[in-house]
Amino acid sequence: MAIPAQPVRKDNRLSQGTHKSLLPQPCVLVIFGGDGDLSWRKLLPAIYNLNVAGVLPSHFAVVCYGLPSSGEAPSNPDEYIRGRARDGITRFSRQPPTDDNWDDYARALFYVPGSFNDSRAYGQLKAKLEAVDQQFGVPHSRVYYLAVPPQFVPPCVSHLRDAGLVSAADEPTAFTRVIVEKPIGRDLESAREVIRAVDQAFAEGQTYRIDHYLGKETVQNLLVLRFANSIFEPLWNEKHIDHVQITVAEDEGITQYDPATGEPTGSRVGYYEGVGALRDMVQNHMLQLLCIVAMEPPSSLAPDIVRDAKSGVLRCLRPMTRADVKQVVVRGQYIEGEAQGRRVPSYRSEVRDFYSSRKQPVPAASVHSNTDTFVALRLFVDNWRWAGVPFYLRTGKRLPKRASEVAIQFKSVPQVLFNANPEVPLEPTVLSLRVQPEEGLSMRIASKLPGPKVRIYPVKMEFNYSSSFGDASPEAYERLLLDVMAGDATLFLRRDAVETAWRFVTPILECWEQERVLNLPEYQCGTWGPVEADRLIEADGRRWRSL
Amino acid sequence: MSTLATSEFVPLSEVERELRRQRQSLQGTEQVAAQLVRMSNLVIFCQSQESAQAVAALVPEVVTAHPARVLLLIGEPSGEGSEVTAQVCVRARPAGSHQLACAEQVLLRAAGAAVNRLPFAVRSLMIGDLPTNLWWASSQPPPLAGPLLYDLSEQAQQIMYDSMGWPEPARGVAATASWLEQVEGGDGCWRVASDLNWRRLKYWRRLLTQVLDPTSTPGAVESITEVQIEHGPHAVIQAWEIVSWLASRLDWSVETGRVEPGREIAWRFTAPHGDLRVRVQRLEQGPTEVRRVRIACRLDDKPGALSLVADDGRRLTGVLEGTDAAPRTVTVPPHTATELIARQLSDRQRDPVFRESMAVAQVLAQSLLD
Repeated sequence: MAIPAQPVRKDNRLSQGTHKSLLPQPCVLVIFGGDGDLSWRKLLPAIYNLNVAGVLPSHFAVVCYGLPSSGEAPSNPDEYIRGRARDGITRFSRQPPTDDNWDDYARALFYVPGSFNDSRAYGQLKAKLEAVDQQFGVPHSRVYYLAVPPQFVPPCVSHLRDAGLVSAADEPTAFTRVIVEKPIGRDLESAREVIRAVDQAFAEGQTYRIDHYLGKETVQNLLVLRFANSIFEPLWNEKHIDHVQITVAEDEGITQYDPATGEPTGSRVGYYEGVGALRDMVQNHMLQLLCIVAMEPPSSLAPDIVRDAKSGVLRCLRPMTRADVKQVVVRGQYIEGEAQGRRVPSYRSEVRDFYSSRKQPVPAASVHSNTDTFVALRLFVDNWRWAGVPFYLRTGKRLPKRASEVAIQFKSVPQVLFNANPEVPLEPTVLSLRVQPEEGLSMRIASKLPGPKVRIYPVKMEFNYSSSFGDASPEAYERLLLDVMAGDATLFLRRDAVETAWRFVTPILECWEQERVLNLPEYQCGTWGPVEADRLIEADGRRWRSL
Repeated sequence: MSTLATSEFVPLSEVERELRRQRQSLQGTEQVAAQLVRMSNLVIFCQSQESAQAVAALVPEVVTAHPARVLLLIGEPSGEGSEVTAQVCVRARPAGSHQLACAEQVLLRAAGAAVNRLPFAVRSLMIGDLPTNLWWASSQPPPLAGPLLYDLSEQAQQIMYDSMGWPEPARGVAATASWLEQVEGGDGCWRVASDLNWRRLKYWRRLLTQVLDPTSTPGAVESITEVQIEHGPHAVIQAWEIVSWLASRLDWSVETGRVEPGREIAWRFTAPHGDLRVRVQRLEQGPTEVRRVRIACRLDDKPGALSLVADDGRRLTGVLEGTDAAPRTVTVPPHTATELIARQLSDRQRDPVFRESMAVAQVLAQSLLD
């Protein structure tokens, strides 16, 4: 039906009393890079799961945009993307496609093939969106998901604006929102360029910079744990906490192999080479985790109040001098080793194989690639609460297992009473929050072994989401997509947070750039990183946690 | 649930010991750690052996989604007896490769005067520091149950009931609406009462909210002249709750009500934009749920109608009659009775929209009782 040109009252009295975050609004989701890897693996399956759960708006459709990954223009674009989506859902979705759910999903999925730089293609996109609006009764509201490399963000947003596909932030009947994927830039300057480019088309209130880690249940539970339980907050400071460890370990490398044949099935070299672990993981996911661990209690859960509190942490990060970088930041690169029971090659050979499979010469900068696949660092949050408490961060690829966690290690009890024997010190209390794979938390405490003597033994109290709550947690992308449709920006990054995180990380990158070392510290695939990382934490009299 | 350990009758004083023994026996057979998982005390009240059997069949799945210590009560006031008897069982399911998650169930039976002793048994078996849910699994509306409900609910944070199939809908709705005021407003304890029927309507309410959104169908809400709701057998209160919800949100005041038992209920309302009529019609057969909602209103400034249909139990579809626009759909996840119950057990938030709707539902009931 026709949409009135005049603004109408937006109040929906039937929705009053329902929490805003439960009300995704009618819209068309436009995925740039709709035929790309992220869309195939994550986004299209996430939308399928949301549809099965019955939480999508009834007036909703998805339009994918971009050039087809096959390189050939499909004769029937809509059928092409539906086939691609079904393949992705079959492989990666937490729920397999069923015929009736699939039909309902597929009828609202469309594809407009086109280059990000082709202004005529945006005209075709506009025509398609108008037809879809008409068909599905969507009041011209759009969510643009830019699942594209950072260099394509500026042309995408400027073409969208020029094609008249962006409504004003205060438009009463139809909203336009844009989701920007990481990485946002390669350093502070390029991040600012991306932010400026997006700013030219979208107001800050329309911009959702996504970090999918923030959509994970455990990460959100960290806020609940801290601020909904009265016992933790009084202990959450330098008086009681010895140090914090944040680990994001991946067992996968940069190339994926078929477990049966050992043949390569996919590669992220194109994205990862020259980017590295510091940019890929630390600047965004890990600093965001750090923010939630270290933030002050926000005065409300309003998006900007929470984001103010998180930004406050980033502003307190102690800047690193060049000497600091040498002393407290360790990078590494994996060499041949074992993973999941078989030999796997070094990072450099995976890079060479990637280019060779594409029959392209290896770029000069990648011949002896110095891309970091592992980073460990120590940092400090210089405020009253965290004065002197070290935060140790480590992340890497091809580590022994996939495991992400935040561990809070409390200070040891005084060396009297049960801790009087310096030969056998008591293990300190540790609160550990597992982000993946089995979301949950545990607490290690000292307990008396049964018997007449006082023998103390560490025991672990466990809480596991899947066994305690029964239901499987939704994927982070599902939650975050719904939040954007509902206009809730709490879990998304504000521009100041992105810039402040880059401001912290950029001196490390610059130092590495200037050093121009021939070879990075190496670690075998299937180990916990280079020995230098152990030395970093052992110099402080501490150890990395065994996961 | 992979494993079930059961017992013969045990004295009330031995219940905890028997639960421990069964848990240990599971550990012994499986060579894995049997871990107790409990989100709440779940007290279930049934008024007959038959209804208890039906509920007991649901419990294993309910506690998979909402692990709880289950106290299943059978109180038969018309029976004979002076004792409360107990049987216990421990159910276990795998939780990871080296653990079993265990859930405990205690079946308490009482008849005649012993029914009034059930609350004492319940108090002694509840686990402290856990929320308590009382599931009123009886076809009798809770406020008509007398002091037993009061005693059982004194420790409960949530009282869950199901208005599906109440024998006297108008009487039940009127009494329950008043009772809700006391339950949630009363004695200083935080407590919530939940109707499973209201939860079943979640997707209907969602679709109605979206198809009547002013940005999608401008002017539709302000021009409604008639609402027609069709429901399957025993689902009249579901349809009733849709009417009361619409009326409460859209400021409709009921003028008159008329009932043709077993066939139709009709109300006349005054709305801010004028008068309108609502008809709730019973279908002779089909699933026990609302099947169709048709709203006559102005669309694109012309007389039209929105028709919302429960397609196949898996999807609700809304169409603008007389147009070729694509249907608007909301997927209804295939919730079994156990999933519905488990989700409600985990949802302890008060719902002011439900309360306001029930206040209107009471006025609707009164218009029929008068």
